[in-house]
Amino acid sequence: MLFGYIGNLALFLSLIFNVFLIFSSIKTIKNNNHINLKKINFLNNSVFYLLLISFLILIYCFTTSDFSNVAVYKNSHTEKPLIYKISGAWGNHEGSMVLFILILSFFSFIFFRSKVSEQLRFYTIFFQAILISIFLIFLILTSNPFDQIDPKPLQGLGLNPILQDPLLAIHPPFLYFGYVGFSLVFSFTLAGLVTNSFDKSWSQYANFWIILPWSLLTIGIGLGSFWAYYELGWGGYWFWDPVENASLMPWLSATALIHSNIVTLKKDKLHSWTALLAIFTFIMSLLGTFLVRSGILNSVHAFANDPYRGVYILSMILLITFFSLAIFIIKNPKKTLNQEHFFLQKDNFILLNNYFLIFFLSVVLVGTVYPIILDAVSGRSISVGPVYYHTILAPFLFIFLFFMSHGPLLSWNKQDKFLQLKNIKIFLPISVVTSLIIIFWFFDQKDITLILGLLLSIYLIISVIFDLISQKALKLNFGRLTSHLGFGILIFSIFINAYLSKEINTSMKVGDEIKIEEFTIKFSSINKNKKDNYEEVFGNFLVSNKDEKVELSPSIRKYNQPAQITSEVSIKSNFIADYYFAINLSEFEKDKIMVRFYFKPLMFWIWFSILLIALGGFYQSLRFKNEPKI
Amino acid sequence: MILSKSTKIRLRFFSIIFTIVSIIIFFVYDNLQKNIVYFYSPEDLKNLSVTPTNKIRLGGLVKQNSLKANANSYVFIITDFKNEIFVEYNGLLPNLFAEGKSAVAEGVLRDKKYFVASSILAKHDENYMPREISNTLKKNELKK
Repeated sequence: MLFGYIGNLALFLSLIFNVFLIFSSIKTIKNNNHINLKKINFLNNSVFYLLLISFLILIYCFTTSDFSNVAVYKNSHTEKPLIYKISGAWGNHEGSMVLFILILSFFSFIFFRSKVSEQLRFYTIFFQAILISIFLIFLILTSNPFDQIDPKPLQGLGLNPILQDPLLAIHPPFLYFGYVGFSLVFSFTLAGLVTNSFDKSWSQYANFWIILPWSLLTIGIGLGSFWAYYELGWGGYWFWDPVENASLMPWLSATALIHSNIVTLKKDKLHSWTALLAIFTFIMSLLGTFLVRSGILNSVHAFANDPYRGVYILSMILLITFFSLAIFIIKNPKKTLNQEHFFLQKDNFILLNNYFLIFFLSVVLVGTVYPIILDAVSGRSISVGPVYYHTILAPFLFIFLFFMSHGPLLSWNKQDKFLQLKNIKIFLPISVVTSLIIIFWFFDQKDITLILGLLLSIYLIISVIFDLISQKALKLNFGRLTSHLGFGILIFSIFINAYLSKEINTSMKVGDEIKIEEFTIKFSSINKNKKDNYEEVFGNFLVSNKDEKVELSPSIRKYNQPAQITSEVSIKSNFIADYYFAINLSEFEKDKIMVRFYFKPLMFWIWFSILLIALGGFYQSLRFKNEPKI
Repeated sequence: MILSKSTKIRLRFFSIIFTIVSIIIFFVYDNLQKNIVYFYSPEDLKNLSVTPTNKIRLGGLVKQNSLKANANSYVFIITDFKNEIFVEYNGLLPNLFAEGKSAVAEGVLRDKKYFVASSILAKHDENYMPREISNTLKKNELKK
């Protein structure tokens, strides 16, 4: 009880400090006073520490199962393992919003310690404080995590069992650091615009603040996808679910931003475009938050369907979009100087990359938002199938891969078309031969999409390897090479996986042995296990094909609180393929168990390549951090 | 009207861009239309004059004692308290599928009363009910 009050108090105090920070900043701006960074620093730090205190108190309430707290009562249970009591703190709407705001403030906190000029720092913190206040008001008004119940219930309702998973304990923090990290880029952009200092030195500093959250978001998306893969039990890792799309949109936008910012940095061009992308990226993050949190989507993320929250978040987005665009239009950064223009120049390819990424983004945006708008306007409920995304994205992805293979090899300043031809002469034969070998060796069907997908992803991989070997400034380009290589491997693995995956669905009794296609499945035994918060039944299977023999033990868990049944898959993974097994109880044929077996090639490489993409980002952001500033 | 050289180039440039963009927009729109899966309740289907032939989603409650299992195939009734539709499904039912609970099936209509599902959508927890279903049920209960 007492701790709940302290947590609540800390939240209110942080809002008061924040509002005070905003008003004192406005006063400084109005009277053109000398910027008092000490005062700003004190307020900024206090807000962060207060939020940290209230977050820690919330975690404390969850670990001690203080059910007088509504959020704890609704989402926790005494018989839950400690780690899920802790992660339960952000496994619900209220707690996750506290984490969201804490990270907003955290970025403000560390940004103050960067070497950016006083004026830019002052304005960035100012804009960041406005964002924090908007979200704090939202939290306190619509979803206070410290709401109390009286009398205190004896037991909690428990956390949804499919969220009781070690990966899900760390997936939201990563995703939030990514999403929310873009807030700082956003504030920094507005600061740059307002002070008319949106220039080369701005983009030099901005680089770090763009790439760091981008890398974290990459990891966050990867973790979410990995969770869906092994927890949902359908053998898939990406469903084009609106919730997944919500995280992909800011990622695409931020990827475009990373590239356009490099042009701004190297050639002092594309200022407006970079600024617009920076604003847009954060708005996409907010849109993601709205889609996920408002309850308009049917998803595991939509914790509660409270229409007020949706309305509030939507008005917040509109407000933020309106004012940031107004600032952008009024303070449009300086126009590009007319420089010598060659088509085959690096910056043009980067611009092309941006067009493609924005196109991908629009396709995803349309597919995600169209059903929601249609529902709101006409009341028709629809969903957009994965085929929509695949058919539209694939052809453009191929062209994108081709440009991606050649763009980075071009020079910044001069036109060198010969290099281009020379490269094609190297890349094309190798990639054609390799992909033809793969296709004739492994595939029965010769699908044009498959051929192009393999050909162009191999083309990209080879161009990166070629680039790596002939690299004169390896340190400078290492991050980019790693991420691009990762992307090539990712696309390659996705195509192989999509065309070579196999699925077997059947029902079996203990002792049964069946043969389907090249797989023999033997159901050898069953055993039971009892844990604190669930009972578990394991089925032991032996799966074999001509070159592999694996034992798999998927299980069914019966949770006590909330009473729910989940299937736990069993996966044996190697560099070539995953053997993936899931079982379901059959309520209607008591003696049989329903089995689902999936053969999923190259899954390891899908996860590994996502890691590579992120690692490239981390490397680059560390480099930018240490680079001497102009 | 005589156009200067640079205007001509610009005009050509813009017409090319315009054509490409229109083709792309058409391509996206066309694909979107083809891949939309509409959601229906049994009552919606009853009120339709034309039976849809493409893939749709059907949602409602699984009627008590309606489920019959054959080898790997199930037949059950989806109801919204007023109208009923038979659903045939070949495959594995999700863990949370149960009689008296809500379910969403994706597939095609064979005729107005018989639906062949290609998948039964999994739900995330035991209390959860898709919004579309709760809306229909609410409507029908109010009318009662």
